[in-house]
Amino acid sequence: MKLTIDVWRQASDETDGRFVSYTVDDAAAEMSLPELLDRLNSQLVEEGEDPIAFDTDCREGICGTCGITVDGIPHGPEPHTPMCRQHLRSFSDGAHIRMEPFRSSAFPVVRDLVVDRSAMDRVVASGGFVSVDAGTAPDADTRQIPFDMAERALDFSACIGCGACIAACPNGSSHLFTGSLLTHLATLPQGKPERGRRARGVVESAEEEFGPCSVYGECAEVCPAGIPLSAISAVNREAARAAVRRNRDD
Amino acid sequence: MSAPAPARPSGSAPVTRAGHRSRFSSVAAKYIMAITGLIFSAYVLVHMIGNLKVYQGPEAFNSYAHWLRNAFYPVLPYEGLLWILRVVLLVSVIAHIVCALILKSRARRARGGARAPSIRRRRGLGLSVFAGRSMLVTGVVLLLFVIFHILDLTTGTSPAAPDGFQAATHESSYAYSNLVDSFSRWPASLIYIVAMLALALHLLHGLVSSVYDLGIGVGSKARNILAAVALLVALVVALGNITIPVAVLTGLIS
Amino acid sequence: MSSPLTDRASEPLDGRIPDGDPATAWARRKLDYKLVSPLNRRKFRVIVVGTGLAGAGCAAALGELGYDVVVYTFHDAARRAHSVAAQGGINAARAKKVDNDSLERFVKDTVKGGDFRGREADCFRLGEESVRVIDHMDAIGAPFAREYGGQLRTRSFGGVQVSRTYYTRGQTGQQLQVAASRALQRQVGTGSVDLRTHREMLDLIVKDGRAQGVVCRNLYTGEIEAETAHAVVLCTGGYGNVYFRSTLAHNSNVTAAWRAHRRGAYFASPSFIQFHPTALPVSSHWQSKTTLMSESLRNDGRIWVPARAGDDRPPNEIPEDERDYYLERKYPAYGNLSPRDISSRAAREQIEAGHGVGPLKNSVYLDFRDAMERLGKPTIKERYGNLFSMYFDATGEDPYTQPMRIAPGAHFAMGGLWSDYDMMTSVPGLFVGGEAGWGYHGANRLGANSLLSACVDGWFTLPFSVPNFLASHLGTAPLSLDDDAVRATVDDVKARTEQLLSIGGTRGADDFHRRLGDILYTGCGVSRTVSGLETALNEIRSLRSEFWNDLRVPGTGRQLNQELERAGRVADYLEMAELMCLDALDRDESCGAHFREDHQTEGGEAQRDDENWAFVSAWEHVPGTPEHPGTPIRHAEPLSFETVPLQTRNYK
Ligand SMILES: Cc1cc2nc3c(=O)[nH]c(=O)nc-3n(C[C@H](O)[C@H](O)[C@H](O)COP(=O)(O)OP(=O)(O)OC[C@H]3O[C@@H](n4cnc5c(N)ncnc54)[C@H](O)[C@@H]3O)c2cc1C
Ligand code: HEM
Ligand code: HEM
Ligand code: SF4
Ligand code: F3S
Ligand code: FES
Repeated sequence: MKLTIDVWRQASDETDGRFVSYTVDDAAAEMSLPELLDRLNSQLVEEGEDPIAFDTDCREGICGTCGITVDGIPHGPEPHTPMCRQHLRSFSDGAHIRMEPFRSSAFPVVRDLVVDRSAMDRVVASGGFVSVDAGTAPDADTRQIPFDMAERALDFSACIGCGACIAACPNGSSHLFTGSLLTHLATLPQGKPERGRRARGVVESAEEEFGPCSVYGECAEVCPAGIPLSAISAVNREAARAAVRRNRDD
Repeated sequence: MSAPAPARPSGSAPVTRAGHRSRFSSVAAKYIMAITGLIFSAYVLVHMIGNLKVYQGPEAFNSYAHWLRNAFYPVLPYEGLLWILRVVLLVSVIAHIVCALILKSRARRARGGARAPSIRRRRGLGLSVFAGRSMLVTGVVLLLFVIFHILDLTTGTSPAAPDGFQAATHESSYAYSNLVDSFSRWPASLIYIVAMLALALHLLHGLVSSVYDLGIGVGSKARNILAAVALLVALVVALGNITIPVAVLTGLIS
Repeated sequence: MSSPLTDRASEPLDGRIPDGDPATAWARRKLDYKLVSPLNRRKFRVIVVGTGLAGAGCAAALGELGYDVVVYTFHDAARRAHSVAAQGGINAARAKKVDNDSLERFVKDTVKGGDFRGREADCFRLGEESVRVIDHMDAIGAPFAREYGGQLRTRSFGGVQVSRTYYTRGQTGQQLQVAASRALQRQVGTGSVDLRTHREMLDLIVKDGRAQGVVCRNLYTGEIEAETAHAVVLCTGGYGNVYFRSTLAHNSNVTAAWRAHRRGAYFASPSFIQFHPTALPVSSHWQSKTTLMSESLRNDGRIWVPARAGDDRPPNEIPEDERDYYLERKYPAYGNLSPRDISSRAAREQIEAGHGVGPLKNSVYLDFRDAMERLGKPTIKERYGNLFSMYFDATGEDPYTQPMRIAPGAHFAMGGLWSDYDMMTSVPGLFVGGEAGWGYHGANRLGANSLLSACVDGWFTLPFSVPNFLASHLGTAPLSLDDDAVRATVDDVKARTEQLLSIGGTRGADDFHRRLGDILYTGCGVSRTVSGLETALNEIRSLRSEFWNDLRVPGTGRQLNQELERAGRVADYLEMAELMCLDALDRDESCGAHFREDHQTEGGEAQRDDENWAFVSAWEHVPGTPEHPGTPIRHAEPLSFETVPLQTRNYK
């Protein structure tokens, strides 16, 4: 199939970017989006042009490295599917595809389609963990965790940290990401002793890095991990809980 | 001279922070929005039910308006309940608006303002999406409406109010005739109808949103129920109110 | 025969395994280790490269202890290391059930699984520490699957008859990796770990025979940065991507390990690569990987090829009696569930004999027709629904109406930097952990053992053995960045970068990588012949000289330049591939995944030669030119087995 691709080209965060149009004549329906970009890039290399920088790694939807906005939608037209698992089958022959980076103030453009998502890690470093040192853990079989509770935690811990929720959010909010983290750890008994502390740290950091949530629900629509929208409520819930129990860590 | 030593990675790379550093957190702002929004929602629902008394005729409506002023007398002074309500509503409206503006400006900053070219919504532009995205607009419409509405039917200030406006007294209320006089002017009725549509949209998103904002985790099933309830309330409040100017214009009430 | 190219070292290599009973070796060794007092720990800087399960664990644990830790990863976030992609599970010898599992049985399975080419004592440590790996990962938030009674749930995995695999849905690697990287972020938050993302280690700084630092490229800015430390730990993952299309992530590479190898670290068993039988086949030129499909599919799917070579009718038009269910035919006892290496090899044989199917005739069918007739479509859907939709996703073919196609894909590197029992390489001060190393898995890895080995290395081995090394360097400062050795290494890296940029040829790095992959799949793949390996060696050499003459890297070195990154990795792969072939040629026996057609039993099984080859090959780099890396020297670490007697596998 033949495709026309408008790609956002930007040399760095300091310079302005613009769309540049390319055509690929021998695209195939079974190509994934990164493979299409590989194809285009090898074409560009042969022509002596700068290839398009884009992020991708596992190419099976688990590492969260990939992420571009395709025709205005983070990751692309297939719902709940990361960019690396979107295939050209979703497009018709002769289609026009527009590719641009994840858009959000918290994600400065590094180059072309690559953005810097370190803000998400700063949120994690502010309390998104369980403070147990190596070797000091109790026997995991002695701590009984009901089946349902483990499953529920898994629903929220499935987040692959891709940042699409933030790019999809008209407010640049990280509530789905932050909420999935908080829910995961607040659900499990392991996370209880520092539940309040964690909420204070994580929410404060999320406020410094990202926008507020207006419950638009766009985030959950694009989330490749299928994190349920209810995750967003955890941010306010955990923060309020921690505020009420002001002097306590748990 | 030897060449400079090779670079050691600078520990603190330049960091972009898209959020805010104010002590007033967005979480707090959202709780305030949700609580005040729910107060308004309750108020407009009850107020709509009261308004429907207009169909029971002038006496019923006037005495309801009169009761509003004399309620719990002498435990409360004349217009006591009303003033409590007014203060609560006024404080709420200010808080609601201030928080709305703070949040919206934070949102704009975090999104990237002009830096971020348009994004297409995955869900297209359904009603609920439209309602969500237009909260600020419908909110402003509501604010302007309330000002107009109070000038029209409470203080009787022209040109908002109809010519024959009669203020309420300790003994009686003329709410019914004021209302009929006002709505007989089609532009006034139109303002009311438009405002009610804005209200419906505002409630449609606001009611769902406030539940999430209060930290209540809504699963996907519960979300559907919640959305249905919000739609129901929004429609009931808006349609209930809209019938009144329509009834006046069509002469059903006079 | 053996390769005339290789020059053997005469002295046997010493693995420094504690003498005596391997079962108690770890406890005794730990007692021997020197300690660093808490007050002195801040004075030691340790560089950890990699944030996978091994790297994140090691860095977090050292940070918790109070060392000054610097961590590098080429990813933009610690969590993205390829450990995240593991699905199946993680083994542990907790032996809680009454299925008669035990530490000894774990060791036995691992040693046998590795076809007696790993270290027995290491396996004991692996099993012993596996107990607290599960406890720890659970405690830091990995939501392991639970029974209704609240206990940890296990399943059996990978040809083992006991139930010792712990898991979290199909996302075990992800949950462990996220938990570990959060533990790492915790140390970042407290300031004890300095995490430097999007930095690729391109060289090792060696001075006075000791590893004292690394040189990295900041991938976002192109800056070449140096950092020095008292010790360096490489946890940089496996090199299966040398085959271009593998189950690994696009960016996984061998560069860190290879650069260390070039600075003196021996490379053990480079040719020991595990091929996964149920990977997605390559269907088009531009396909970039062979995604792993769960092996569980083989429980109900039947594997077959057309009986007539070159038969290209659509599968459903091929009548029953013209289908060859070759696994059921050859291995009646295990049939479609034959072990990974056997299944992979059998598929490769069929493909090579012209029975391959699919557009490129490079796959075999995995058919659910009979299972669907027997169990009904709903049951199949319930069991494999998400795998089927993943398959449909990737191929556009509907496995409910036509058979799936599968092919062996390069998956796991048993080989890696050689290290002694303390995980230290042949360069003092340079340690290795996880898949980048070698050790436990011998010539074939058991399913669910490698997440475990990465965790054990990171959390419960390196935090003991690295301080032991540090203790004798108290009072010394890390090398100054002004030191000549640092400058020289930085200059080397810069020169190499310039060289890659200045070739000015016509082809991108991927093109060479693809061709290298084809050479290796053919010559050094699931089964190997002397002549095939020799051909591969020649092809690799000419491809390498083509690379250095015809590579084109657009752009400059002072920007994010992914072509440059790839070029550097492919350059290393082109050298690495040669060593793999040399090793495969040299090892004149079959063992585990290393199957030499000239060494098989009558039934077509791998035939070990314990008399001559019961040792680990550890290759020493000998400098040469880019086109002709020097001829390496092979060292041998003899292996002995005390608790598990040498024996031959039988799956007939
Ligand atoms: C698809 C798949 C499924 C698997 N399933 C299982 C399973 O079910 N059970 C099991 O036990 N094992 C499984 N494995 C194997 C297992 O996942 C890996 O062996 C293990 O996770 C390796 O961990 P690691 O920490 O050594 O390396 P990785 O997790 O690969 O981490 C490597 C790290 O090193 C960094 N790095 C590498 N080179 C450089 C450099 N030059 N400079 C800077 N940083 C660098 C990377 O950025 C990364 O952070 C699977 C593997 C694959 C591919
Ligand atoms: C009768 C009057 C009003 C009612 C019933 C009402 C109700 C609500 C409710 C229930 C919410 C949801 C709060 C939440 O998200 O938690 C809300 C949000 C909002 N309201 Fe109102 N409101 C009214 C008036 C106004 C006015 C006068 C304005 C402003 C000028 C306004 C602006 C907004 C905005 C912008 C939001 C969205 C906040 C966000 O993006 O998170 N509202 N309103
Ligand atoms: C068609 C719809 C409506 C009708 C017929 C109506 C009618 C009235 C009447 C008759 C009064 C005067 C009561 C009195 O002074 O005795 C009144 C007061 C008021 N209404 Fe409405 N109303 C309508 C919609 C609304 C809406 C949508 C809002 C809010 C957003 C609103 C807010 C108020 C307020 C704040 C007052 C003033 C109360 C006071 O301070 O005395 N009304 N309304
Ligand atoms: S919540 Fe979903 S969209 Fe957001 S980072 Fe996690 S996986 Fe990506
Ligand atoms: S789209 Fe944004 S506004 Fe909230 S619900 Fe999702 S974070
Ligand atoms: S590349 Fe890993 S999720 Fe897409």
